Amino acid sequence: MTINFRLNGNDTSVELAVNKRVVDLLREDLQLTGTKEGCSIGECGACTIIVNSKAVNSCMLLAQQLEGCDVITVEGLSDGEKLHKLQENFLKYGGIQCGFCTPGMLMSAYALFLENPKPTVDDIKTAIEGNLCRCTGYKPIIEAISASANS
Amino acid sequence: MKNYDLVRHVKGESKFVDDILTPEGCLHAYVLYSQIAHGNIKSVNINTALQMEGVEGIFIAKDIPGENQIGGIIQDEELLASCKVDFIGQPIAIVVAKTVALAKEASKKIIVDIEELTPVIDPRVAFEKGELIMPPRVFSLGDVEANWDKCALIVEGTVESGGQEHLYLETQGAFACPVEGGGVKIVSSTQSPTTVQKTAAKVLGLKMHLIEVDVLRLGGGFGGKEDQASQWAAMAAMAALKLNKPVKLILPRQDDLRMTGKRHPYSSDYKIGLNKEGKIINYEVTFYQNAGASADLSPAILDRTLFHCTNSYFVPNVKATACSCKTNLPPNTAFRGFGGPQGMFVIEAAIYKAAEKLGIDPCLIQEKNLLAEGDEFSYGQKAEQCMAKASWESAISKFNFPHLKKEIDEFNVASKIVKKGIALMPICFGISFTTTFLNQASALVHVYSDGSVGVSTGAIEMGQGVNMKIRQVVASVFSIKIDRIKNETTNTTRNANTSATAASSGADLNGKAAQLACNNILNRLKDAAAKYLSLANSDQIEIKDEVIYYENKPTRLLWNELISSAYMQRVSLSSHAYYAPPGIYFDKDKAKGKPFAYHVYGTAIIQVAVDCLKGVYEIESVKIVHDFGKSINKAIDRSQTEGAVMQGIGWMTMEELKYNENGRLLTDALSTYKVPDIYFAPKEFEVEFLDNPNDSLAVFNSKAIGEPPFMYGIGAYFAIMNAMKSYKPEKHFEIISPMTPERLLLSLYN
Repeated sequence: MTINFRLNGNDTSVELAVNKRVVDLLREDLQLTGTKEGCSIGECGACTIIVNSKAVNSCMLLAQQLEGCDVITVEGLSDGEKLHKLQENFLKYGGIQCGFCTPGMLMSAYALFLENPKPTVDDIKTAIEGNLCRCTGYKPIIEAISASANS
Repeated sequence: MKNYDLVRHVKGESKFVDDILTPEGCLHAYVLYSQIAHGNIKSVNINTALQMEGVEGIFIAKDIPGENQIGGIIQDEELLASCKVDFIGQPIAIVVAKTVALAKEASKKIIVDIEELTPVIDPRVAFEKGELIMPPRVFSLGDVEANWDKCALIVEGTVESGGQEHLYLETQGAFACPVEGGGVKIVSSTQSPTTVQKTAAKVLGLKMHLIEVDVLRLGGGFGGKEDQASQWAAMAAMAALKLNKPVKLILPRQDDLRMTGKRHPYSSDYKIGLNKEGKIINYEVTFYQNAGASADLSPAILDRTLFHCTNSYFVPNVKATACSCKTNLPPNTAFRGFGGPQGMFVIEAAIYKAAEKLGIDPCLIQEKNLLAEGDEFSYGQKAEQCMAKASWESAISKFNFPHLKKEIDEFNVASKIVKKGIALMPICFGISFTTTFLNQASALVHVYSDGSVGVSTGAIEMGQGVNMKIRQVVASVFSIKIDRIKNETTNTTRNANTSATAASSGADLNGKAAQLACNNILNRLKDAAAKYLSLANSDQIEIKDEVIYYENKPTRLLWNELISSAYMQRVSLSSHAYYAPPGIYFDKDKAKGKPFAYHVYGTAIIQVAVDCLKGVYEIESVKIVHDFGKSINKAIDRSQTEGAVMQGIGWMTMEELKYNENGRLLTDALSTYKVPDIYFAPKEFEVEFLDNPNDSLAVFNSKAIGEPPFMYGIGAYFAIMNAMKSYKPEKHFEIISPMTPERLLLSLYN
């Protein structure tokens, strides 16, 4: 089947199998490998993308469900070479170690900002409760998102 | 000072194994594994599966061209089970197809007939049956037997510590591509490219030079990819060579959880004796390590349990015995701390129980027994530049421990259900591979004619920041901007016979090798500069911030021009260097020596709040004074500390591996195996850098950081115990970890 949707600001049309997951569509067909697959059951959040302004686990969504949707992946976060403030602050506060959870973290935080530009620390925790990081201990991630909220 | 690796991470541009653009026609492999924990294989029938559309090949034990053997320390592990299966998750067949889905579908059509035998899950049962990986190991100091009657208090007990899943977010995987001459290039998610190379060579019956292993970065390792990345790489390589096509093998998360080994669960018996003043006189301990089905790294891990069995305390009489017990679980393996945490947990438990008997705070016993300069460890090494007391005293005063304690006591008087607890956790961790020969590394540095620099070492970047530290070393020796320097991938053709990036030693060993290589080039550059500037004495030449100085005065010569000139003068701008730390040795038979280049010390104060009705708890604060030496990158070191502590607290509290009596892992998904999430992060987290001017063998005196802070997590267990004790002062709790909310409630109300 063919589906049409917007991906990082561009109209996109793809031919796909009905049982294809979004994470596979992005990674295999569109070579957008910034979106990572960590657990395949919607528990780790590494595959988080934004669909119609909401953070979703792309391993839990069928690609055909994207018909007519507006999709943002980590590749669409920066404006060319100019990094988004969330990206800048993840670098500044050390919210990254191995980097595997980073795209998903950024997407969850970005979705939060779309809904609430001035979130509290509790809002931030709620927004990334579905994103696991095995490296950092979370402190710098919260700091990075908080700093972005206040800038 | 930008870390380009990290910039690529935030842009989604960094590549992990599964992200590499594969060539047209790349095939995918899926591994069929045993569903039986112990049994004899009667037959494996692949005929139906092989006929499926899209299936390109299925390989079982008899198809292996070389040796069906992947054991490192002991040759006791098959790549593919031939006659016997010893754990659920043991690989039996490699199915290769056009897609992963097809390969997995085909694997379901393979019929494996296994005659079931009774599995052994418990290490003590294995011990009773004589099922040991190797003979028990004993470390001893003084004379325990002669001194029991000098003890005013003797406490005995048992301690159980659970295993731990690594949960590197990137699962195990490799990509293999045949190359001309009958060789293969493997891109692997491994901490040890040389181990992958050796294993693949052995399995394929090829010389090592026909196997090239390349590693860009890992999405987490934590020890789980030290020895256990090799089999997947060897399987992909074998399939690639058999089919003469590129093959990718990425473990699905659930298979990774079921098939790979974890931190070893331990069951231990201790007996501790103290004099009237609270000084520990005697400590006797026996560890039963649950090794799983084969040796893997268990013997070395067992030794580290013994090395660290007295933590940061001086105990004059020690008898520590450790038994590596063979069970029908996946072979347990390296995990941050490498057996050290299990050893430390037991002596902390022993001190806790002794304090309980005396009716005093355990920290009084801890404090009285801290190591002092020159104290001897059970393995014969002396504590040098010992920071045990300094870090303890600094933590007590910096964070005002008496005040924290008083606040908690007052809170607990007023609060009926929610109780707070606090505990101190000192650590002492030895740095070096205790298998001495592994302490070696090499580096290859190229300065290109445009002044840019490429550095290759054996170090693997897995999030710990080793690449950045090595670039800092290079930038510092040459005194050039860090942006000029690029870390190359870790590749066996550039750095051969490397040791795993493990034992917290990656930056120390590889950083020192890089330093030596840069110094070689720097000396040549000085001569070239002298020649270019027509100066007599190259000893008086220095580079400062990319400017060439002579006799402490800047010359007109800059880095770029110097490099260009050196090239025209036909001066080599490349160097390979080798480093092996001096002065370390260990006699395994006598269990004596000086195995560690240095020790890392520190003290944590951990505070928790426990809801004694619901069983849930929060980590309120973690406050640490840690001996970083002279940190070359405080941001990286702080972040490593925080992450390690979080992982240590996870091990002690919420992370629970459950196996049923058939040896099946029940917690085989992230829905059932819980690791710390954002809500579990400590509300307050303070890390203080202890002033330590002493020289050490650490690179630029910046001490190893990967593992030591993990063990602060043990403090969380005893903080929770203290809170529970405050709720039920009359109760004596068993020491069993992890202290999940379920166990907490059962302990309180059983």
